[in-house]
Amino acid sequence: MTQLDNRATEVVAVAGRQPRKPPVRRGRNKGRMGLIMVAPAVLHIGLWTAIPVLATLALSFTDYDIFDLPAWIGIENYVEIFSDPVFRQATWNTLVYTFWTVPASMAIAMIIAVALNQNLKLRTWFRTAFFLPQVTATVAIAMVWLWIYNPQQGLLNAALSIVGIPGQAWLADPAWSLPAVILVGAWQGIGIKMLIYIAALQNVDESLYEAASVDGASTIRKFFAITVPMLKPATFFVLIISIIGAFQVFDQIYVLTDGGPANATTMMTYEVYRSAFQNFEMGMASAQSVVLFVLLLAMTLIGRRVTKGDDE
Amino acid sequence: MSIRKARTRRLARGASFGLAAVMALGLVSCASDPGDAGVSSELSGEITMLTPIYEGSAGQQLLEEELLPQFYAQYPDITVSVDYTNFARLNEKLTTGVVSGLVPDVMMMGVGWVEAFAERGVLANLTDGGLSVQSLEDTMTPQIVDAGIWDDDVYGIPIMLDARFGVARMDLLREAGYNAPPQTWDELVEMAEALTVRGTDGSLKRTGFDMLTIEPRQMFETALFSAGGDLFTEDNTAPAFNSKAGVTALTQIVDLFHTSDVEDIGFSAPNATVNPLINGRAAMAIAHNNVWTQTELANPDILPDLEPFLIPGDDPSMFVGGTIATVSASSKRPAAAQALAEFLASPGPALAANQQRGNVPALTELLDSDYAQDNRLVQFAMENLEVAKREGGPGKWLGLRGEVAPAIQEAILQNKTPKVALNDLAEVFQKKLDR
Repeated sequence: MTQLDNRATEVVAVAGRQPRKPPVRRGRNKGRMGLIMVAPAVLHIGLWTAIPVLATLALSFTDYDIFDLPAWIGIENYVEIFSDPVFRQATWNTLVYTFWTVPASMAIAMIIAVALNQNLKLRTWFRTAFFLPQVTATVAIAMVWLWIYNPQQGLLNAALSIVGIPGQAWLADPAWSLPAVILVGAWQGIGIKMLIYIAALQNVDESLYEAASVDGASTIRKFFAITVPMLKPATFFVLIISIIGAFQVFDQIYVLTDGGPANATTMMTYEVYRSAFQNFEMGMASAQSVVLFVLLLAMTLIGRRVTKGDDE
Repeated sequence: MSIRKARTRRLARGASFGLAAVMALGLVSCASDPGDAGVSSELSGEITMLTPIYEGSAGQQLLEEELLPQFYAQYPDITVSVDYTNFARLNEKLTTGVVSGLVPDVMMMGVGWVEAFAERGVLANLTDGGLSVQSLEDTMTPQIVDAGIWDDDVYGIPIMLDARFGVARMDLLREAGYNAPPQTWDELVEMAEALTVRGTDGSLKRTGFDMLTIEPRQMFETALFSAGGDLFTEDNTAPAFNSKAGVTALTQIVDLFHTSDVEDIGFSAPNATVNPLINGRAAMAIAHNNVWTQTELANPDILPDLEPFLIPGDDPSMFVGGTIATVSASSKRPAAAQALAEFLASPGPALAANQQRGNVPALTELLDSDYAQDNRLVQFAMENLEVAKREGGPGKWLGLRGEVAPAIQEAILQNKTPKVALNDLAEVFQKKLDR
C-alpha cells in the first residue's frame, strides 16, 4: 500500500513538471513504435516466406521452362499431375514411407528415451550414439547404407548368408527397395525424436511415479498410465515434425536409388526435383510443391485431431 | 475522419509504397540486360568454367596442375575459376545457373545438350568468334562436330567422344569353345547362355552378357540403334523408338534376363566400383570404351583378352556420346571464354583429357597418337564411326532423357511388356514435344 502511495505521488509530481500529452497521441506513438519493432520480422517473413510461397502458387499455373517467360496455362499442370501415374506412385510411396517411418521411429524413440532417462552407466555416451545419425550428413549415411545393401559385398547379405538366408538385391529389386529406404529413414529419424522425448521426460513430476509405486503399479502400468499421457504434448510436436520430415525426404532417395528401380522409390519431393532440375519444368514443379503443401497441411490437421492438439 | 481510419490509410499507403519499391526493384533487375553492360573483348579478367570432365582428384590435378598453367602461360591476364560436377548432376548446375542469371562463362556439355541451350539463347554463337563448321570438320571427326552445331552455326567445340558397344573376355569365350565374339543376335544369346555360371544354390556367379553396368537409357539406345531403330523421326517432332525395331531390341534384352536367365536384377549397377568384365563376373557386356583404361589400372593382364564387337542386329551400330566445350551467351568476357574453350579442345590438352578419361579424341590428328594406337577399344570406336549413332535431336531432349531409364526398367522388371513400356514412354515424349 505504501509503495502504491509513493508511486502515485511520483506520478503527480512528474505530471506537475511536464505538459500533459493527449492520450490518443501517446497511443499513436506506441503503435508506431510497435510497427517499427515488428517490421524486421514482417520483412523477413514477407521476403523469404510469403513472396516465394505466392510466387510458387502463381508459377504453378504457368508453363515455365527457365529459358522463356512463364506462360499462363490455368490448371493444366494440376490436371496433368492427377493423371500422371508416376506422380501418383510418388504420392503413394511418400504415404507408405511416412506410415512406416513416423510411428515406428516414434515408438522406438520413446522407448529409448525412457531407457536413457534412467540412471544408467554411460548414459551420455548412449544418448550421443543414438543422436549421431541425426547430425551426420545424410549423404554420408546413405553411402554407408549403399555398402550395407550391396548385393555382392554388402554387410546385410553377408550377415544373412551366415544363417543360410539368401541375399537380395535390396536397392535394385522393386519389392525390397522401398522397405530398404524406409529402414534407413526410420533409423535416421530416431535421434531427434529421442532427444525431444528425453527433454519432455525431464518435466514429468517424479512424485507421480512415487505415488503410483505406493499404489503398487507395475513398471509397464506406470509407462502407459503416466509416461505416455504426460508426453502427449511432446508426442504431438514429434508427430508433426516427423510427418513434415517424412514428406520432405529427398537426400537418401537422391543418393540411394535415384527414385528407381522403375520409380519404385520415387517420392513427391523427388518428383519436384526431377521436374525442376532434370526436365526444366518449373511450372509443373511448382504445382507439385503446392500439392505437397496441401497434403502436408491435411496431415498436420489430422495429426492434431488424432492427438487432440497440444493445448491441454 | 476517425483516428483508426487515418492510421489504416497511412498503413495502406506505406504498404503500397513498399510493394511498389519491391516491384520497381524487380523490374529494374529484369529490365537490365546482362549481356550488354560491361562486355569485354579483351583477353583478360576472371572467367568461370563448369565441367563434368576433369572430375575426381586425378582429373582435378590434370586440369589445375598441368593444363591451366599452360593456358595462363599463353594468356597471363586471364584467371579461371572451376566448378566441378559430373554428367549426372550437370543438369541441375546449369538450371540453377540459368535461373539465377549466373551462367558459367565456359560450360562442358554432353552430346544432345547443345541443341537445347543454343535454341534458347543460352550459348554464344562461336561462328561470330571466328570458328566455322568447315574449320572444325577439317580437323575433327565429323560425327562429333555435328553435336556442337545448331542452325548451321558452331555453338560447341568437341573435345572427346565416348562410345558404347559390345566387349567380350576372349579368355572366357575360348574356355567355352568360342573363338570370336557373336556375329548375330542368336549367336549372342547362345553364347551368353553358355557363358553364364550359377552356383549350386542358383546364385549368379558370372553373367554371360552384362547389361546392368551401363546406364539403362544408354544400354537400350545401343541395342535400339543396332536393331535399326532411331530415337526420333527425321524432323525430330515425334518419338520413333517404339517402332518395330525398338520393341524388338527391348524384347531381346528382356528375354536375356528372363528367358535365357543370363543376368539377375541387382547383379551389377551403373555405379559398380569394378566393371564385372574386369574381375571375370561377366564374359561379355555392353560397355563404355573407358573399360580399357579401368582394366589397365585394375587388371592389366587381361587387356589382350578384351575384344570389342558391335551389338548384332539388323543394322549393327554403336552408341556415341561426347564432351563439347561451349561459351555462355551472357559471358562478360566472351573472348577470354572462347580462348579457354579452344585451348581445352586443342591437341595437347585434349589428348591429356582423353587419356585421363579413356575416351576417343575428337581431333583426327590425335588418332595417330600412342595413346589411341595402344588402346584397342579407342581404335575400335574410331574404326566404326561410320556406324555411330548419337542421342538427342529435339531441343527438348534434356527434359525427355530422364524419362527413359524408368520405362526401360519397367520392361526389364516385367511390370510392363516392352511394347507397352515403349508406347507409354512415347506418349510422354509426344506430350512434352507438343507443349
